[in-house]
Amino acid sequence: MIKNVFFITLFFTLKSLILFSQDKKTANLLELQIKAKVLKYNDQINFNKAQRFFFENNWDSTLVYSMKQLSKTKNKELKDYCHYFRGISFQNKKILDQAKKEFGQISSGFDFYYKVNFSLGEIALQQNKFEIALSYFNSIDKLHERSYDFKKSSVSHNIGLCYLHLGNFAKAEKYLFESTRLQEIEKDSLMLVGSYMDIATLYYEQYKDNLAIPYFKKAYDLSKKVKSFELKRTATLNMAVVEENRKNFSQALVYRKEFEAWKDSLNDQNKVWAIADLEKKFAIQQKQKEVNVLAAENKAKIAERNGFLISSVLLLILFGTGVYFYRQKIRSSKIILKQKEELDELNATKDKLFSIVSHDLRSSVNALKTSNGRLQENLENKNYEELDTLLHNNSTIANGAYNLLDNLLNWALLQTKQTYFYQESLHLASIVQQVEYNYKPLMLNKNISFTSNVPSGEYVFADMDSLKIVIRNFLDNAIKFTKENGSISIYTRPSSEEYCYLVIEDTGLGMSKSTRDELLKDSVLLSKKKNDDIIGTGLGMQLCRSMIYKNGGKLDIESEENIGTKIIIALQKFKNHG
Amino acid sequence: MDNINVLVIEDTVSESDALVKVLSANNYNIVGIAATYNQALEMFYNNVVDIVIIDVFLDGKPDGITFAETINIVPNSVKPFVFLTSSKDRQIFERAKLTKPFSFLMKPFNELEILYALEMAVEKFYEQTNVFHSEDQNTVISNDSLFIKKNKALKKVRIEDIVYIEVEDRYCNIITETEKFVILISLTKIMHLFDASKFFQTHRNYIVNSSKIIEIVLSDNLIVLKGNHNVTLSEKYKDLVSRFTVLK
Repeated sequence: MIKNVFFITLFFTLKSLILFSQDKKTANLLELQIKAKVLKYNDQINFNKAQRFFFENNWDSTLVYSMKQLSKTKNKELKDYCHYFRGISFQNKKILDQAKKEFGQISSGFDFYYKVNFSLGEIALQQNKFEIALSYFNSIDKLHERSYDFKKSSVSHNIGLCYLHLGNFAKAEKYLFESTRLQEIEKDSLMLVGSYMDIATLYYEQYKDNLAIPYFKKAYDLSKKVKSFELKRTATLNMAVVEENRKNFSQALVYRKEFEAWKDSLNDQNKVWAIADLEKKFAIQQKQKEVNVLAAENKAKIAERNGFLISSVLLLILFGTGVYFYRQKIRSSKIILKQKEELDELNATKDKLFSIVSHDLRSSVNALKTSNGRLQENLENKNYEELDTLLHNNSTIANGAYNLLDNLLNWALLQTKQTYFYQESLHLASIVQQVEYNYKPLMLNKNISFTSNVPSGEYVFADMDSLKIVIRNFLDNAIKFTKENGSISIYTRPSSEEYCYLVIEDTGLGMSKSTRDELLKDSVLLSKKKNDDIIGTGLGMQLCRSMIYKNGGKLDIESEENIGTKIIIALQKFKNHG
Repeated sequence: MDNINVLVIEDTVSESDALVKVLSANNYNIVGIAATYNQALEMFYNNVVDIVIIDVFLDGKPDGITFAETINIVPNSVKPFVFLTSSKDRQIFERAKLTKPFSFLMKPFNELEILYALEMAVEKFYEQTNVFHSEDQNTVISNDSLFIKKNKALKKVRIEDIVYIEVEDRYCNIITETEKFVILISLTKIMHLFDASKFFQTHRNYIVNSSKIIEIVLSDNLIVLKGNHNVTLSEKYKDLVSRFTVLK
């Protein structure tokens, strides 16, 4: 068992040795040849590079540039070289099948075809295909020694190895001795150690311990002169095993210790590599950490920026809504202020109205009271002639008070919008007649000549009651302002398409232009009292104006002081078609 | 020509008195003065009434409107009516307005106003507006009567009393068995509003009440009517004879 283990280790050790020594030897002739090719094909940059890397043992680069060269060139010679470069590169990278493929693509006319065969043999050997390896090596062995540039000893050695593996000890012995002899001539101590150990193994396998041990010893002694730790280690281990088998344990222990030492130094080297590897890994980890930290920082920065953006947008919205509400507030407060002013004005008007109305009503009723007193007095005194005038006086006062009250009520209803308002077709002449009917006695009393000339074909679109109130007020005014023996006339002006113009004309006091404008102005202020007897509250005028507008009509006044006034009421015409 | 029968529904005696005074002075016939809702209904259904004057508030309640609503339910018995009111309260008006056709009169009112209101009520009720104040017409035709404006007031003629109508220009001579008078109305309007099965045109200028025909003398182109009236039958309208069952 022990023998087996030690044999296999020995074998693999040897193989690498073979390849190594071989490369060194064969390079010379090949190199010369290739340099010549480079000069010949100096325009092929890729080939140039490939061969350079090839001799620098930079296999990966060699593979890359040879591939580039292959994809471009059709030159058979260059192709062969490139395939060869690739084959050797793959072989060194232990990609054996690929290497075999590349070697297979080299044409048989290649200058170093025997080298190809040699390489193929080595591959077969490494793949434990000993028979195939043997055939390759034998084909090289048969060639004349001078036709190839590497040592016959290598070939012999390899053949020997093959036979050793195939169990053909006799042949193995022959070839191994042959290679040993050649190596001794060539003074190749490195290869010699391998060869001695192989021979020793050969004998040891056949249990020819006496023959084997001197070779082991020789290999061990020689190994001390070489630099390869691997070789030293193997040789020492072999010696340890041999001494152990000879039961010479103290000696075995010495060899063992030496073996351990070599192993340690080898391990140290391995450890250095491992530490370097670890350091590399650590450095990578460190870098990775840095990268992670940077990434995290970036993330944080992005988050911060986004946060800033969002908060600024929110602030903007907040600001916008704030401004909006502020403006709303300002606007509403403006409206409120305006409304307050209007209300104040209205309130002032109302107060004034009340004062005037109360004054008027009180004075009217008071006048009625005193008049009644005089009436009673006259009745007691049987002074019947006075009675008639007093009664007329009374009825006039009562009428005035009634009109005032009526206007007040109508005005209140209009303001509170509680009145029923319904516009319909009205026969203007009839309405005028109905209103003037009540005033005929009054005018007769004042000796006012009255003419009414409203064509019976006029129909207006209005609310009957409000129209009556309007006409009543204007007629009342006309009578009030017209002196005795004056005249009042109601007539229409030629109507337009939409309006019918009703004119109430008197020969009364008339009014100044400013009064006229004030009356027509859509103001709530009441006209000032100039004369207690004549000028009223202005309530009637305002009521009329409101009612005319509500009926969709217009009001105009033409007046000259001391000549007369014309009140022109424009009323909507009634149209059958709506 | 008959006077118009008016039913007054008014609970304030002084006001009803004033109303009666004005109406009587204008030849309106007062069929009764009702002070309550029940009284009003009784009088309305037991008398021949042409127009009703209704005070909206009876004893402080809007029973006047209730009355109008009640008579409105039976469509054929409804007569023109006028509301009297002293307040323009919108709520009351909105309710009163539903009893169509709706006309009203504000208190206080004068003679002209009440007469105008009655005329308006008749016009609106029979859907012949702008009649009494127009220059070419003074008659509203209902299904059984003509309402004619004579001077300031309205008069009525029962359509079945008319013997024939003679058209003269814009005027129509209405001839009954006892009277003869002129109204302002166009022939086409009369023909449009009269029952075509009872009144026939016999001539360009004549419309005859078929129930008043005594004899048709085709040879003389003459129609003899009740009350000893003769009317010409022109060639154009002779085929009306075929509408009678002729005895031979």
